[in-house]
Parts: sequence; C-alpha cells; structure tokens
Amino acid sequence: MNASVRLSTSSLRAHKRRFAGTFLAVFLGVAFLAGTLVMGDTLRAGFDTMFGNATSGTDAVVRSAEAITTPGESQGVREPVDTDLVKTVEQVPGVAAAAPDVQGAGQLIGADGKPIGGQGPPTLAGNWIDDPELNPYRLAEGRAPKKSGEVVVNRGTADRGDLKIGDTTILRTPDPVEVTIVGLATFGGEDGMAQVTFTGMTLSDAEKYLTARPGEASSIQVRAGPGVGQQELVDRLTPVLPRGVEAISGQESTEENTDMISSQFLDIFTTFLLVFSGVALLVATFSIHNTFAIVVAQRTRENALLRALGASRRQVTASTLTEASVVAVTASAAGLAGGIGVAAGLQALFPAIGFPFPEGDLVIGVLSMALPLAVGIVVCLGSALLPAVRAGRTAPLAALRETAVDQSGASRVRAVIGGGLAALAVAVTLTGVLVSPSLWLAGAGSVTTLAAFVVLGPVASTTAVRVIGGPLDRLRGVTGSLARRNALRSPRRTAATASALMIGVAVVSLFTVFGASLKATMDQTVSRSFAGDVAVSTPSFGAGGSGLSPRLAGAVQQLPEVDTAVGLGRGVAEVDGKGRVLTVTDPLALERTFDLGTVRGSLRDLGTDGIALTEKEAEKQGLTTGDKARLTFTDGVKDTFTVRAVYGQSELAGDYVITRAAWAPHRTQDSDTLVAVSFKDGVSTGAGKAAVEKVAARYGDPEVQTRDEYAQSSAGGIDMMLTLVYALLALAVLIALLGIANTLTLAIHERTRELGLLRAVGQTRSQLRAMVRWESVLVAAFGTVGGLALGAFLGWVLVKASDGASDSAFAFAMPPLRLAVVALVGLAAGALAGLRPARRAARLDVLRAIATE
Amino acid sequence: MTTTTASTGTLSAARVVDAVKVYGSGDTRVRALDGVSVDFPAGRFTAIMGPSGSGKSTLMHCAAGLDTLTEGVSYIGDTDLGSLDDRRLTLLRRDRVGFVFQAFNLVPTLTVEENIRLPLDLAGGKGDPEWIDALIEVVGLRDRLRHRPAELSGGQQQRVAVARAFAGRPDVVFADEPTGNLDSRSGGEVLGLLARTVRQTARTVVMVTHDPVAAAHADEVVFLADGRLVDRMESPTADRVLDRLKAFEVPS
Repeated sequence: MNASVRLSTSSLRAHKRRFAGTFLAVFLGVAFLAGTLVMGDTLRAGFDTMFGNATSGTDAVVRSAEAITTPGESQGVREPVDTDLVKTVEQVPGVAAAAPDVQGAGQLIGADGKPIGGQGPPTLAGNWIDDPELNPYRLAEGRAPKKSGEVVVNRGTADRGDLKIGDTTILRTPDPVEVTIVGLATFGGEDGMAQVTFTGMTLSDAEKYLTARPGEASSIQVRAGPGVGQQELVDRLTPVLPRGVEAISGQESTEENTDMISSQFLDIFTTFLLVFSGVALLVATFSIHNTFAIVVAQRTRENALLRALGASRRQVTASTLTEASVVAVTASAAGLAGGIGVAAGLQALFPAIGFPFPEGDLVIGVLSMALPLAVGIVVCLGSALLPAVRAGRTAPLAALRETAVDQSGASRVRAVIGGGLAALAVAVTLTGVLVSPSLWLAGAGSVTTLAAFVVLGPVASTTAVRVIGGPLDRLRGVTGSLARRNALRSPRRTAATASALMIGVAVVSLFTVFGASLKATMDQTVSRSFAGDVAVSTPSFGAGGSGLSPRLAGAVQQLPEVDTAVGLGRGVAEVDGKGRVLTVTDPLALERTFDLGTVRGSLRDLGTDGIALTEKEAEKQGLTTGDKARLTFTDGVKDTFTVRAVYGQSELAGDYVITRAAWAPHRTQDSDTLVAVSFKDGVSTGAGKAAVEKVAARYGDPEVQTRDEYAQSSAGGIDMMLTLVYALLALAVLIALLGIANTLTLAIHERTRELGLLRAVGQTRSQLRAMVRWESVLVAAFGTVGGLALGAFLGWVLVKASDGASDSAFAFAMPPLRLAVVALVGLAAGALAGLRPARRAARLDVLRAIATE
Repeated sequence: MTTTTASTGTLSAARVVDAVKVYGSGDTRVRALDGVSVDFPAGRFTAIMGPSGSGKSTLMHCAAGLDTLTEGVSYIGDTDLGSLDDRRLTLLRRDRVGFVFQAFNLVPTLTVEENIRLPLDLAGGKGDPEWIDALIEVVGLRDRLRHRPAELSGGQQQRVAVARAFAGRPDVVFADEPTGNLDSRSGGEVLGLLARTVRQTARTVVMVTHDPVAAAHADEVVFLADGRLVDRMESPTADRVLDRLKAFEVPS
C-alpha cells in the first residue's frame, strides 16, 4: 500500500467520530438528490405506461388544428369539432370505429357534501365512450351509463368522496346536476390518472352540460381496422376533413398527453426538489469544508512530524485528500442506496395518501445514479481541497513548536475582498431593483450578496458574537462568559460553522418574506380593486374546479338585499395575434363592483363589437379609444372590435373585457369564475351574505365570502406551499446542525485539558454542559441572525425586482411573527446541536484531562 | 504494613486513612497506594516526595477528591469524600480546595483577574474583595490583571495559579509539581510565594514534588515508596531530602 494511503486509512480508523458528521452531510445530500431523480424517472415511466395502456386502442384523434395559448398555459384552447364529422370519418376505409369525445370540467360532491379535488389537478367530466378500445377508462365495477343522470366515475375519485355504486350526488358543471353512480372505472390499470377526477356521462348529458351547443365534441377518437397502421389511418383521414380540422396518430396524442403531465407536473415537481437538494448540498459543503479545516489544523504537529521525517508536500496533501475521497465515496455510495430507499418509500407512501402512484419497478437510470455520486464526490473533495493543500504546506518546524490550534483571525485581505464584494453586491442589486428593474441583475446581485456574507463572516463574527453574547455574561455569569469567549476563539471557524446555518435560514426567511409579500399583494389587490361586499367563488387553484353557474349572478341579482351582482367569466382569444384571457361580463355592473381606476371612454356601449382594456395593455398594443383591434376566437372566427374604453386598474377584473353577447357565439362550456355582489345601502354584510348563501346553495353551493375572507382565501395556497418549502428546507437546516455539533465535538477534543482544569477547580458537570450548549446557541444565533438579515434582504430584492420587472404590482411585506419563529427555531436548533457534544464533554475524566502529556 | 503516621496533634485539613488504590486488573494490576494513612495538618506546608511510581500523585489526587480510593477513606476537614457524588465532590473542590498544576493552570480565554476569581465566579459568589486584593498584592501581578495567560511568562502564569488556588480561602491547597516547568529562579519565586502565604495567612498547602530544593520550602516532607508511606522529615533542607531520597535507590 502507498504510504499516504496507509496514513489516511489509519487516520480514518482512529478518528471515525470526526468524520461521522461529514459522512452524514454527504449521505443526506446525495440521498435526497438520488431519491428525487429516481422518483422523477419512475413517475415519468409510470405515467408513460399508464397512458400507453389507457389509450392503446386509439389509433387516431381528429380535432381542431388551431389552439390559442395564453401566457402561462401550455396546452391551449381548441375549438370543438362537429359531432357529425363522426359519420364522415366512419366511412373512411380502414376505420373500424369512431366516437366523439366531449370533455369539460365537472366537479363531484363527495358524501360529506364537500367537493372532491380541485386543488391542482383537473376535475374532468365527459361522455362515457362505449367502445372499450377508444375509451381510456375501463369499467371495473358496475355498468356504463345508459340514461340521463347516470355516471361512471374513476375509482380513486369515488374512494376520496366516499361514494359507492348506487349513490346519488351532485356534479357541478358548474350548474349542479344530480347524478347517480352506476359504475367505477380505472385508468390504465390504476384507480385514476394521478389525482385527476373523471366523471363519464351519457353522450347527450355530456353535450347538454359540458358544451355550449349540442353537436360539438372536443375531439373524435378513431380506431383502425386490422392491417391499417396509425400513420396510414391519419393519411387516409386527412383528405376528408374540413379546413381547420386535423388528424393525429394515437401515439402522437399519447405523447402530447404525457408531455403535458411531464411539463405541468413532473418537471416542476422534480425541479423544485432538485433546488432544495442543491441548497442542502451547498450547506453540506460548508460543514464538510469546516470539518476538514479543523481536522487539518488539529493535526498540524502530526503533519509537521511527517514532513520532518521526509514526507513531501504532495504526500501530505495526498493523504488528506485520500481521506476525503474515502469518506466521499462511501458516503455517496451509501447516499445512493439511501436515495433508492427514499424513492421506494415514497412509492409505497403515495397510494396511502390517495395519490395513485403508477405501478412498476423503480426506474434507476444511469444518470440518476451517476449524477448524485459525482456531485457527492465533487462536493466532498472540493470542500477538502483547500485544507489538504494547507496540510501540505505545514512547515516541518511546526512539529517542534507548541502550536496553538487554529487561532486564525480575520485577515485584512479578507475584509478588503469582502468589502469590495459587498459594495459590488449592493450596487448591482440596487441597480436591478431600483434603477433598471431586472430579475437577472437582481439575481446576480443576490448571489454576490451571498458571497459577500460568506467572505465577511469571519470579519463579522467577532463583533456579532460579542454583541449577541453580551447579555450572557449577566444572565449566565462565568458559564455564559466562557461560552461567549469560546465562540470568539476562532472567528473563521465560528463563521464557517454558522455560514451553513446562515444559508439554510436565509432560504427559509427568503421564502417566508416572499410568501408574506404575495399574500399582502393579494390582499392589496382585493382591497384596492374589489368594491363589492361579498364574493362568490369555488375555492380551487390549478386546473381543478368547475367554476360557477352562469345563472348564479342573475339569481343573486333578484335578491332584495342586492344592489349589483356581476358574474365574471373567462374567455380566450387572440388579440392582434397574441393569445389573451378575456373577462366576459356585464361591463356596467363590473364598474359598480370593482374599482377600475380612471376610465377613458365608456363601458356602457361595448355591445357585440366593443372591447375595453387596461391602460397597460393599451400602451403595449398601441391602442386607444376608438381604435380597432382584431380578435381571433378559438372557432377560427376573426372579428374586428372597437376599443370603447381604457381603464386604469386590472388585477381582479382582468386586462380585456367584452360583453357576454360578444362572447356568446364563441363560448364553450359556460361558467363564471367569480360573482361579485354589492348590497343596497343599509343591508348588513351578515344579512346580505346569508341571503346570497341561500341562493348559492341551489347552484352547487359555492363559497360566499366577505371581502376580507375572499382576500385571505386567495392567499390560502401560499401557506400550503410555504409548509412544503419548510419541510424540504428542514434537511438543509439538519445538515447545518450536524455541522455545528461536529465543530463543537472537535473543539471539545482540542480543549480537553482546559475542560479538565475547569472541572478540577470546581465547574460542575451541569455548568460545563451549559457552557458548551451556550456556545452552540451563540454560533447558531450568529448564523440565524445573519440568515434572517440575508433572507429578508433577498426577499426584498426578489419582491421589488418582480414588481419592477413584471406587469403586476407586488407588495412587500415583512412577517415579523413568522420571522421571530424562524429565529426561535434557529436558536432552539443550536441548543439541540449542542446537546451531544455537551454530554460528551461532561463525561470527560478530570484526571486524564489534567494529566501532563 | 507501614503504620508510620505523620501527625502533629493539631487539626488536620486533609487526611487519608488506610488508603489503597488499585489500577487495572489481572496481570496489569498495579497497587499505586498500598495502605497509606497520612494527615495534612492545618496551617502547614507539607511536601510529598518519592521516586517515580511511588504513588505520590495518586495520593494527592485521592486526597483532593479528583480520584476515588479503592479502599480506605479520605477526608477534607471532617468530610468523608467517599460519601460524596460527583456533583458534591465538584462543589467541595470549588469551595474548599485549591489547585496548582504543573502546567496548563489557566483558562486561556480569561484574563488574569478572571482566572483568579474563577472558582468564586463558578460558585456565583463575590468572595472577599479585600482578601482577593491582598492576594493580588502578594503575587505581585497588579499591573497584569487585564492580560491573557498567553501574554505572561511561565513563572507569572504559575503565580496567577497560586492566587487562584487561594482565592476562595480553601481549607487546603494541593500543588502538583508546581515548578516542574519553570526555571529555577521562577520556581523559587513560586515556592517562596506558597510558603509565605501559608505562614502569613495560616493556610494549608500540600505539594507533590520530586525536586529536593522545592521540598525544602515545606514545613515537613513525607516520603512515599511503592505506594507506602516510608518516612517523614520536619524542617527539611535540600541536602537532607536528597540524602533521604538516595537511600531509596539502595534496595532495602
């Protein structure tokens, strides 16, 4: 065996404990990363198989060629096709069967009276296709719907709503439709397509409730006869189709669907997790670097002796690096196993929480093993590189000196570089935020700020610990004083230890501030532009929910308490070539329930060829009142609209407004997203709300909320996201805490004699433990305070830069209570990290500690 | 069994009775103390001497409550150390015993003054300001109070340790080779300081040393060999102590 390898392996064996922290940090980071990748691949493969199974009988899909895509939407909206086309298609040679596919939104009410789903994944309804080859769903129990009011639902949805065959419930389309469940279905062998809910009804019911006009279908599913390939079928279909209608192969359609799932759900999901494993690994880098730096410093005399005995610089460096690589490889390999375990665990866990995880073995790709392994090794070796080089530079004479262990302070060079970085960071960030708002500049500034914080850490740690620890002397007497001075001993080490926690806390604070700002923004939006008294809406986000019955607003308007009730629908059209969301409503009533700012022109006479838009959009499109705008609807109709009004604020009301009459020829499934209601003078909010609730109950029972409630519920999704983010960041914080515990353990090892002396002259065990714990708390406090400051600043930058760089106005909000909780958690975590080292320190044998060498 | 007992009839500050200390077991079993009874009278400066491995350090550790006896009893004043748990032993060391070690006597992060006050601060008390002030005067470090140990010479550090040992007016101060790491001049100063403090303030000091010159500063020397008390000598001089030590080297 090579000399440096032998040295490093023997040293590893002798100091297993020292590397336990490093091992864990690498292990956790790699496991998280590998788990994410394996799970992503497995999910993707599972969905592919599922879709493949479900739609294998469909050889071609006939649909409208053009889709209008609005910003932030990947799929686009297509015009329906004529159901009559089925007959034409059936006559094409080689077609075995064809069936119209009518699809729309439909949300089922569960046995408990609450709507099922709607928080993200789509809630779909459609016609039950009797040809089992063409229907992606398979009947698992019961029978297909035969008469009006009978439905088949996918088994996952039935289970979630506690519904059984024979049960009668409500389907919001959005008009409440009473339906009886006659069958349960599966999708590609699973209880459903992930969390998507599906209700299959008879074709006539589907046409009645899900389309604007009977005789229209979203698409036509076609099955080929024996011996006809998919492409051949498409080629035969294309000539008989009218203009604007296309045929695509079944395989293409399946790929589109799986791509959609990938881009809308899986990619976001995995990217999200990858970002957090990145944070965890970054934190790990600091902990690992610190451990190696300390170990090398403690081994100065040993390394010097080696050098004095003739070991070359390279040999000493190599022995430290070998040590690091042994830790790196074993920890990363263990991490891979851990990652597979994590993915397997999630695969088992998901169905238990009602998320049908596509069946099949775990997909363990080469990349999802090689990448985490490489990252783990690079992070570990990279972190050890500098300390290893420093080890090699040890002067042979150091063996003879009574070297004090790592008393490195903050150098002047560091202060200068850090100061420069900080100045640069402030300049770039402020330019990106205030001068010429740009997310790129702000982002670059943020990264530089982070770097400045890390570089300046040791410079700041002395002052910071002195200030933070100031009260300790008075509160905890000599114990506190000793703890504070121990934390001050090696500013660089304290800073490096705290940096790991700082990054974790900074990301937590960043999200906390950003979340609070988003909430404030919504609150501000509602209070600024919603002039009504109550809002009626169905709580949902993402593609779920079914909206409100378009008849609700009219019914509410009839109430004696109500002054104005206005429903806001959603339409899609291309305005001068770009896909836009239109607000379909009664513009006059809109003006009475929403504050639209200053209105130029008049909302009175939009009629069927008038449009109103916000100042911002008007400016962008170069339009003003009286100008003509060309609108292209999903049905291919191009109409010229006259700009009749330009209004100041959009927010809740949307950027483009047209009347219901103008939208009527182009509408699909009719629904409103919001009904805004204002009461007559003298009607109390409580009484008015109760009256509206009574009416709403007849229309699928959507939620009726006062302005405040509405503002709060708009922000409800944010809290859910924040909870998830906190859960994911817990890993990074855990790694940071391992780092603190590890540093303390190493420090205690190096202070053995001093601790012995303290015990000999009368420090009790509990005083000693308190001293170590307080030191841990101080280091954690430094990291937490730095993290809070950094996170709050970055949160401010993000909000302000978004505000300046995007069209929507962002409000900035600091949540003091939440940040206080973050601070407390940071401190408590510090105390926790100190527990084990404190216990170990207290177990020291006094005699051995004071014995001379 | 040796029954030689060093006693002057006055009150004892510390004593051990039939002390036995066994380290290890089986083949590696060592009887470091083999039935020692010794009394350290109050107000006296006693030196413990003996060749390497004679058990002198073990005796001190057990008498001071840093280590526990295998058999026998050790007392500080009237307190039986064997009856105390770790916490009580620690409090006893803090409040009633002072220590001066050979090296590493001071906490590097604390100033000279804080080091001197350390046992008092650990107890959370103020101590006696006049007494502390007098101590600082005696050890002659008034102008160094705000310095850190690293800024002091070895001799100065040991003088701080002596002041620390006496700060809480302990019943007894144990010194373990307090001059072992010092040159003879600095060592002389530290020993003079110990002896002066005993005489002027009626304190008790028990010092372990292998240096006859150091032992000569004591009022009395007790000799240990092979874990047994073999002799004692009142008013020692360096020459007499040296002669006595030479006798050990002749196999008896």
